[in-house]
Amino acid sequence: MAPNELEARPKQKVERREEATRPGAYFQPAVDIFETKDELVLVADMPGVPPDGVDVDLEGDELSIEGRVRSGEYDGLKPLYVEYGVGGYYRRFTLGEMIDREGIKAQMKNGVLVLRLPKAERARARRISVDAA
Amino acid sequence: MALVYQDPFEQLQAELERMLDAAFGPAGPSRLYPPVNVFDAGDAYVVKAEVPGVSPDRIDIDVEDDTLTIRGERAVSEPNREAAYHRRERGSGQFRRVVRIPGRLASDEVKAEYRDGVLTVRLPKAKEARPRRVQIEAA
Repeated sequence: MAPNELEARPKQKVERREEATRPGAYFQPAVDIFETKDELVLVADMPGVPPDGVDVDLEGDELSIEGRVRSGEYDGLKPLYVEYGVGGYYRRFTLGEMIDREGIKAQMKNGVLVLRLPKAERARARRISVDAA
Repeated sequence: MALVYQDPFEQLQAELERMLDAAFGPAGPSRLYPPVNVFDAGDAYVVKAEVPGVSPDRIDIDVEDDTLTIRGERAVSEPNREAAYHRRERGSGQFRRVVRIPGRLASDEVKAEYRDGVLTVRLPKAKEARPRRVQIEAA
């Protein structure tokens, strides 16, 4: 297989959260998380989730993301051959950084959530220059 | 007997899970990208594929006889060099997926739609393969 050929990553089912208000299957979204001097960026694949189907919650240092899919588009469809389950997405993270809650930005496009979490002022890495004596 | 209402979408979710387990077991399906689900919609077959983050103009769809080919490329934007990764689970690269449709098609009427990261291809069945209602004439 060519090195740049994309491989599927089978969806991992997650246990339904105790406080889930909606029943049904939940899956763990694949994520990239990276950190720069000023912010944490989380990118999550949540195919099937419309822009208004996303909830982001930050409580203390615990971040959770949830996505809900539209169900109507499966009306009248009888499955013949199945390679993936369909349902919502849920995942929780513990953040090691203080986040400026007011500055959090979320964008949802083509089934991908991009979450930008600016670090709180006092948590930002400071550059200290050392003068040669 | 108590009648319990079950949401049709929940029924479908359960059916998909059951079929997944039956077909592939706990190891899950192959790693062919993108994963697809094939449905019967009466007068058409519907193929759905999860391709999040791929702009629709980077996806090519071909139908030949009973074979659907989905081709494209998924690019994952790279952060600048000073960024440090904590997790990296999202793959990028080219993909090509060939799906055999279990019936004859009217391939000139195929329609595709991309919405929220899900590709939906609707392939109408050939006229002679569609379910027909036969009118019984009164003698």
